[in-house]
Amino acid sequence: MSRILVADDEAGIRTVLRDALEQAGHEVETAVDGEEAIGLLERQSFDFIITDLAMPNSDGLELVKAVRESSSIPILVLTVRQEERQKVRLLDAGADDYMTKPFGVGELLARTRALLRRTNPGAGQPAHFQWADIEVEIETRRVRRGGHEVHLTPTEYLILTAFLKKPGAVWTHRQLLSAVWGTSAEVSNDTLRVHVASLRRKLEADPNRPRWIRTEPWVGYRFSPEE
Amino acid sequence: MADRSASRWLGYSAALLLVSATVGTLKLLPHLADATAALILLLAVFLSAWLWESGPGVFAALLATLSFNFFFIPPLHTFTIDDPRNIVALIVFLASGLVIGRLSAVSRHRLRLVEAERRDFAALTQLSQAFLSDTTRESLLGIACDRLRQALVCEEVAILLADGGDGLSVVAATPRAQVEQERAEAAYRRRSSVASPSELGGTDIYLPILVGLERAGALVARGLRTSERMAEGCAMLLGLALERERFVSRARAAEETKTSEEMKSTLLAALAHDLKTPVATARAALENWEAVAGESDKSRLAREQLEALTRRIEELMEVVRLDSGTALPRRERVSCSEIVEASISRFGESLGSHNLSLELPTREVTIEVDPMQVAEALGHGLENAARYSPAGSEIQVSVEEQKDSVVLRVADAGRGIPLPDRERVLERFVRLPNSAGVPGSGLGLAIARSLVELNGGRIRIGDSSRGGALFEIAFPRGNP
Repeated sequence: MSRILVADDEAGIRTVLRDALEQAGHEVETAVDGEEAIGLLERQSFDFIITDLAMPNSDGLELVKAVRESSSIPILVLTVRQEERQKVRLLDAGADDYMTKPFGVGELLARTRALLRRTNPGAGQPAHFQWADIEVEIETRRVRRGGHEVHLTPTEYLILTAFLKKPGAVWTHRQLLSAVWGTSAEVSNDTLRVHVASLRRKLEADPNRPRWIRTEPWVGYRFSPEE
Repeated sequence: MADRSASRWLGYSAALLLVSATVGTLKLLPHLADATAALILLLAVFLSAWLWESGPGVFAALLATLSFNFFFIPPLHTFTIDDPRNIVALIVFLASGLVIGRLSAVSRHRLRLVEAERRDFAALTQLSQAFLSDTTRESLLGIACDRLRQALVCEEVAILLADGGDGLSVVAATPRAQVEQERAEAAYRRRSSVASPSELGGTDIYLPILVGLERAGALVARGLRTSERMAEGCAMLLGLALERERFVSRARAAEETKTSEEMKSTLLAALAHDLKTPVATARAALENWEAVAGESDKSRLAREQLEALTRRIEELMEVVRLDSGTALPRRERVSCSEIVEASISRFGESLGSHNLSLELPTREVTIEVDPMQVAEALGHGLENAARYSPAGSEIQVSVEEQKDSVVLRVADAGRGIPLPDRERVLERFVRLPNSAGVPGSGLGLAIARSLVELNGGRIRIGDSSRGGALFEIAFPRGNP
């Protein structure tokens, strides 16, 4: 059970989020805007924050910035389609993930689980990953799909291991570029896309409609091995 | 001209009087030495030249020489001279008188020019400051004529500006100003000033007003007392003031448009948020209820309808944004593969039961467009293909680089769109008879067309090689 803070100016959204999260066994507090949320965060401790982006007085972006000054508590931001260009700004400011309204409750709970697990990673990085018909051995650098060995280039392997560190997470192009090539490398998004496309051809059943390595339009990628 | 010759005659008479008075005074003082008398006479010559300038100066010098000979050089009261030394003295006197007179007249003349220039300069400075303080055309033209009349020292001023057609019309003038339209238009057409003596005294001058390299109109000054150069300076200043005013008003208009567009765009974002929030709430509430009571046909139907409603809201918002003029494309050079990928990722769910194939060029092909808008347009093409072709059939998305353009296509294996309807389906709310039973608002393709055209591209509906419809958008290649 985790303590979750929900900030949204719409009473309806606060109610449905509370119902969904409480059904999943969490404890929920709500706030009507960023200001009230910050007040609650000062007095109580939380494991997770879900906030709307557009709120009167103090919005979601301000809340993310304020929280990141002192804490690394995971934050999920709810946006609508017209706020596309804000997503990268949110992630750069320290938000961990976003969901576009109207969101599916199942998806929201899955993201919540993934984010909570990532912040409590138990005993270090596992040495072996398996999902669907794919297996990855970290020690031997061996990747198998359907029992057959898959040969990855060193760059493809680096991208895959970066993804494996944060299952379910969204990666901005910049975050992934610096995780694979380092912060000083001057590698373009186009180059990254070529490597990701090649990785998809090796791991995905239908590379045109990838299931594991999804495109987050204009933001980056999401690695979602659970589905 | 009349007053100038009158003043000249006045100068000669005054010089005559001054020299005569000096001689008379000297004769009343019998003990004066001849040399002293000569010096005092030279003083009279100097004064005449200073006060009345060149002509009267020379006249005074000659008159003083004759008087000196007649009244002071023996034998008195004759023009004859006995002593040859006195001849020399007289010549020296004449020469001194002429030189003094000339110098005095020249310096006086120069001083007057300098004063006039200083006055013109001060007037121009004042005028330019006054022009700079006016920010609207009305206030500028409203008092420009009075200011120009003061600066130019003239009787009447009029400003004529081009009236859109060929002619000029008076936009501002001092009261009762008489303007000869033909002369003003001649100055305007020839870009050179026309001047003539005025019935009001001074000069009448017609000058072109130039704004940058263009002609803007004509400036008329009647009864001008200052120089033509000064008038030209004023016309130039007026041109600059008009040009500045034009820029200021353009900048102001741009600022106003920007503010109103920003406001509209903020309002639209708020509206989108307000429309979607209840749908989002309903959908989440429904799913929460399903989690407790289990999924049923009825709950699935409700969920599907909510999803369709979301899509309708998105389409309507897109139309409102396109109509409000706030959907300004933010162009950047972007790879076509990225656009295709984004579009499939966003609209991919509607393609769930189709077989999707991609045909992308091996090397990166880029276009300069707003990537989100073009991906959205392509998405409408994908959505349309998915709706009007049977489940399980193939939908092909391709990018082809041509000589001057880049073409993005969506081809399906559905029934296709009959030739006569291909233009029509790109219009709003047009749905073909065979689309009964297929969800849709008839907005998707119209939105796609607006978005493509906004980004400088073309859209076309054709036949696909699979017998279905072909959705094609093309953009100029530009320079990568």
